[in-house]
Amino acid sequence: MTLIKKYIPLAICFLVGLMTLASYYVPNKTSENYLEVMNKWENIVAGFAFLLGLFSLFFSHYNKIRRKVDGWGYSLFVFVGFLVMVVPALMSHGKQMDGTSLTGLGWGYRFMFNALSGTMFSVLAFYIVSTAYRAFRIKSAQAGVLFAAALVLIIGKVPLGQLMWDKLLGWTHLGVTQIVQWLMDVPVVAGRRGIMMGLAVGGIVTALKIIFGIERQYMGKD
Amino acid sequence: MSETMLIFGGWVAAGLTIFLFSFLYKDNPFFKVTEHLYLGAGMGWVFQTVLFQTWKPKVWEPLQAGDWTVLIPTVLGLSLVTQFFPRISWISRYGFTFIMGYGSGLVIPLTISTDLLKQIGGTIAPFMVSEISRANIGSLINGSIVAIGFICVLFYFFFSVEHKGVVKKASNIGIYFLMLYFGAAFGNTVMGRFSLLYGRFDDLYKYSAPKYFYATHVILAALVIYFVVDHFRKKKPEIEEEAA
Repeated sequence: MTLIKKYIPLAICFLVGLMTLASYYVPNKTSENYLEVMNKWENIVAGFAFLLGLFSLFFSHYNKIRRKVDGWGYSLFVFVGFLVMVVPALMSHGKQMDGTSLTGLGWGYRFMFNALSGTMFSVLAFYIVSTAYRAFRIKSAQAGVLFAAALVLIIGKVPLGQLMWDKLLGWTHLGVTQIVQWLMDVPVVAGRRGIMMGLAVGGIVTALKIIFGIERQYMGKD
Repeated sequence: MSETMLIFGGWVAAGLTIFLFSFLYKDNPFFKVTEHLYLGAGMGWVFQTVLFQTWKPKVWEPLQAGDWTVLIPTVLGLSLVTQFFPRISWISRYGFTFIMGYGSGLVIPLTISTDLLKQIGGTIAPFMVSEISRANIGSLINGSIVAIGFICVLFYFFFSVEHKGVVKKASNIGIYFLMLYFGAAFGNTVMGRFSLLYGRFDDLYKYSAPKYFYATHVILAALVIYFVVDHFRKKKPEIEEEAA
């Protein structure tokens, strides 16, 4: 049973990983076809992986409704929201537009999903500002640099900030947009490259550990 | 789609926007309803995307055309759902190991080419003979700043030697470059969120027009009335308790 439960899955990981890696460095028709098929297969498997999240959410809210826990009524709206998007999608075969007219799915996307996601993320603007107010206590030169970089970038991207900069620091003949551009092109690139390099090395090592079966936490307990 | 549905859509969008913003004042039932609706609608949106962009064209249509090979990833995908049944949850390992193996095999060459070689190449490029021969001093100075900053940041993340002496100085300079990066990333995030906020305000302004029967005004006024009534309704029992 250990063979079926443990070693065959690990062998699948090893073979698929090694063949995908090798296909990248062996440019011929067979390897290209292999990568194309694997990419399609991965899309299909990942599509089913979404069901894990969906079922988990549904079970969780179904149980809240069944047990009538505090606020169970709100859980009904999870199912309402889901149906409001899915039923029109089934009727319009996933199309948002029918000629120049909106379909039910297009209506749901434009007036519901777009409004909801846009607002949900824009609300974070208020919390970011209030958090920044508390977090940006300039206690060291390093914190000062962080604050200055953020401030210059924010000022440089809004017309009011540019106007203020021109009025106060116009005599320096340095435009705030030029400073922002230089900041983004030079020192920020240096910091980002260092982080990217660290992430790359870490990512490659982890990937190798997964392929060779050293890292197997994702398999769960035996 | 009829004009009535578009006007109704304006009311729905304005209502959902205002209900979500109402959380900035305090938690309330309207926010909770909208929050749960967003959760469901988000899942519904992803579900229909997967259905019409993956399952239908990549599973259903090939099967109808007699391509049975798609059954392999389908079975691997379905194996993931066994996670919900503890006794047979080990079957899901087949799907997971396939995803992990493919992802790991793919990430190595992509990371090497994009995150390692291109970044190192980009750092060296300003010092190539062809660049220096152009005598572009500005480019050379900027290239030097990037190279010095990059090396100093790497020193900061290098723990194989003790951070003292020159290494400590280099890693301290690296921290400043990291802080500049974090500051810029923070500024960009703030601006991104604010541009979303402007978009929502713009929509609210649009739906406040007579064409939409003043949807924004009406919903906003109704919500304010709710908060006032709710405030006094909760205050009344407190006063009665104090009197008793």
